[in-house]
Amino acid sequence: MNQDSIRNFCIIAHIDHGKSTLADRLIEIAGGMGRAKITEQVMDSMELERERGITIKAKAVRLNYKNRAGHQFLLNLIDTPGHVDFSYEVSRTLVACEGAVLVIDATQGIQAQTLANIYIAMEHNLVVIPVINKIDLPGSEPERVMEEIESVLGYKPSETFLISAKTGQGVSELVEAIVERIPPPAGDLNLPLRALIFDSRYDDYKGVIAYVRVVDGRLQKGSKVRLIGEGTQMEVLELGYFSPGPTPADSLQAGEVGYIATGLKSVAECRVGDTVTVTPGGAREPLIGYELPKPMVYAGVYPTQADDYADLREAIEKLHLNDASLTFEPESSPILGQGFRCGFLGLLHLDIVVERLEREFYLSLVVTVPGVKFLVTMTSGEILDITSPVDFPDPSEIAKIEEPWVKISVVTPSNFIGALMEVMQEYEGVYKHTEYLGQFTALGETGQRVRLEYEMPLRSMLTTFYDQLKSRSRGYASLDHELLGYREARLVKLDVLVNDMKVDAFSRIIPPEKAHEIGKAVVAKLKEVIPRQLFKVPLQAAIGGRIVAREDISARRKDVLAKCYGGDITRKRKLLEKQKEGKKKMKMIGQVEVPKEAFLSIMKLG
Amino acid sequence: MNGSIALYVHIPFCIQKCSYCSFVSYAGRQNDIEQYCQVLIKEIRRRVGKRLVKCVYFGGGTPSLIPIRCIENLMEKILSISQSLDIEVSLEANPGTIGVQHLKELRRIGVNRLSIGAQSLDNRDLELMGRLHNSAAVIEAMKSARSARFDNINLDLIYGIPGQSISSWKQTLEGAIDLEPEHLSLYGLSLESGTEMMNLIECGALPQINPDDSADQYEFAEEILAGKGYHHYEISNWAKAGYECIHNLVYWKHEEYIGVGAGACSYLGGHRFSNTPSLDKYLTSFTEEGGEVTESDEPINPELAAAEAAILSLRLDEGINIEKYNQDYNTNLISVYNKQIDELESYGLLENDGVNIKLTPKGRLLGNEVFWRFLPEAIE
Repeated sequence: MNQDSIRNFCIIAHIDHGKSTLADRLIEIAGGMGRAKITEQVMDSMELERERGITIKAKAVRLNYKNRAGHQFLLNLIDTPGHVDFSYEVSRTLVACEGAVLVIDATQGIQAQTLANIYIAMEHNLVVIPVINKIDLPGSEPERVMEEIESVLGYKPSETFLISAKTGQGVSELVEAIVERIPPPAGDLNLPLRALIFDSRYDDYKGVIAYVRVVDGRLQKGSKVRLIGEGTQMEVLELGYFSPGPTPADSLQAGEVGYIATGLKSVAECRVGDTVTVTPGGAREPLIGYELPKPMVYAGVYPTQADDYADLREAIEKLHLNDASLTFEPESSPILGQGFRCGFLGLLHLDIVVERLEREFYLSLVVTVPGVKFLVTMTSGEILDITSPVDFPDPSEIAKIEEPWVKISVVTPSNFIGALMEVMQEYEGVYKHTEYLGQFTALGETGQRVRLEYEMPLRSMLTTFYDQLKSRSRGYASLDHELLGYREARLVKLDVLVNDMKVDAFSRIIPPEKAHEIGKAVVAKLKEVIPRQLFKVPLQAAIGGRIVAREDISARRKDVLAKCYGGDITRKRKLLEKQKEGKKKMKMIGQVEVPKEAFLSIMKLG
Repeated sequence: MNGSIALYVHIPFCIQKCSYCSFVSYAGRQNDIEQYCQVLIKEIRRRVGKRLVKCVYFGGGTPSLIPIRCIENLMEKILSISQSLDIEVSLEANPGTIGVQHLKELRRIGVNRLSIGAQSLDNRDLELMGRLHNSAAVIEAMKSARSARFDNINLDLIYGIPGQSISSWKQTLEGAIDLEPEHLSLYGLSLESGTEMMNLIECGALPQINPDDSADQYEFAEEILAGKGYHHYEISNWAKAGYECIHNLVYWKHEEYIGVGAGACSYLGGHRFSNTPSLDKYLTSFTEEGGEVTESDEPINPELAAAEAAILSLRLDEGINIEKYNQDYNTNLISVYNKQIDELESYGLLENDGVNIKLTPKGRLLGNEVFWRFLPEAIE
């Protein structure tokens, strides 16, 4: 296909603004595929994705479209991850496109993550087609959202499409505009090969499959290639495109999007953002700066049953083959036994990994309180990376502590500003800036929508911040964040003692002035979730040797089968067997039986 | 006593189902009583065979609903195969279902122990539990039983009822003691899902059972009954000297028994098996030739039998007699359960005087924590 007839584009949308529905509709209209086939072939790639309404891994579908003027086009729709945890992947996906369809919900308007992604698109000179979706809904306000798009992003109402991805209204016009407005790819077929990897995943049969956008030259089946960033050398075992199922081809040329099967064993050797070229020779300059995604959030991951350690290791290694941004190192805890300290891109990434480990590998896991990586300068001058509270040095040896800060951006109706500013303050946010976005109507009143900018320690964001933000704005506020770098901090380690035994898994690093408040909340929660034992169990929170909060769980007094006669014996014994099985599922802290849920609930605590 | 057996006869009929009940019982099926009793006789003939019967227990349901004529037929059959004529014959009766005349007849045909399902002497509790009687009916039943010359009477009482105060329990208990029964069974209310009362608790219409209140009520009962000369011989049972229930002791001593009737359970020849709980199935399919009515049949291997025996013996005040246990089960209790016994002693739930191992007063309230530790390691 002639390069001039190719259009590479993606869809940018906030969660639930209708990206997947629009993708379905575009595939149906531009690619002439029925809905059943779409569900079966396009969307059914990862159960978790559909359940959470988010897209974890980018996908690309090739569509053959004949426009109204009768010209044949080749459209490549590249799907993007919608969540801020995966912003690096988003940026690489955007680089693979010449244009983006920006979807905004007609009932909600611009959200924080939409802004973040649209700025990346503008940075890379993508042609953006703004679309207001869900105009069929009763609460939709297309005019208001149109004004907002104009005032915040500068797109005129005449450029903006009003559609309903659900009913299909306006989508045909949108496809026409995609062909007209988005330029064809600019690469040069005669230059040495350069192809950008915008996604990769591991396949048991074919090894790593890399999703690529060929920018210059030609990718040939069977050719020897090299990755400019990682230095990996490999042979192109198979290549092709998705239409929507994988369709093998002999070559992919400048402007085209497709996949290559590499036979590599791990996606770490073939990461998103790297540039493919031929070897020997080939291009020298990568298409875009290649960096390794850095874990931002760390947590200990342990099997509930110590026997499952080997299975956990195997599962994490397998998952890592597919998810290079997941890091892991063996770790052991006196209470939890053998496990791993894992690094994640963010909390959502953590949730997804844990859920996949449990669901796909049938493991039962205990996850410790998530934290960040601290840089601790010792009085000796040595600098330590601390990712686990257990490794936090004695305060007397610490000269300086630094922790990562983030810039956060919250888009909210103005009537929640007061409440949200309080939340920010509670979570150690530092005010930077307010920006007025436009008019809106919600809760029966007309008001302003604003974007608040704050800076805050990433640590503060890791527990209940997001829930608070949502609840105090009645769900209206949206959040985006980006890393600012490390700043000096004043922090202490809060230890939790259960029956006088220190439980590493509950330790956390906090500002000293919050010790009492957090300590109290932790012991109160533990009292709620640890069942009464055969003896009294003191629960304490301590900073060094100083107890900052205490609760006692009183001893259990009654647990006995009142009746046990002839007809009951088997049935009653089965109840006892159940009780015995239940005990096995408990984690022991000394002699105290602690259910797995206790760890989860402490992890979720602010 | 060798070769003799305890016989349990289940009477699954009630006028109305109580709100906490999860037993096999049917309301509104009184028309089937006569036929049911005929089937019972067939089952007794088949199951008991040539064995001698050493005690009988009519449980329910509401055995006092059965017409005398039917019980008499059953008793004739049973006494013809019993080892002697003065065996313990217990019958459960609900207040309000038994008049003096009826009781006299029962006494005449050989019933010599009456277990009255009083449950409470507080009308609020009785109403809440869906009982058809009030406290006056309990007192009346007791009087009638005495005038029918019953001299071995048990009262069933329930504590730990949602909303039951310690003082209400105290009144019930003292009221019961004033009636001078020979035997008292005190049951902490435990609810199974699906019962009416559990549904009320789950939907918030009733408060949860507070285990600490139940513990207080139990400890109060232990104290007051000890002072009145009642011997606390099993976790939930108290008796004047010599009035311990012979039939129920069979269960706790892990001896063999035969149960007849719908849902009834037997322990015989290393198996524990039970009849179908369905009244219809029971009525139609049981024949002398052995029509299949078995609901479940569990082989109790020697290891399991030894574990069950330990658990059941611990319910009794004398606990496990180490030497006898070792002989009976060809094992060594202390070495098998060494770790468990040490742990439970350290929690103050068990005591070992070298001859017997038994629950402490604290252990009686936390019996399950003791019992599950005595279960065998691998159970299929």
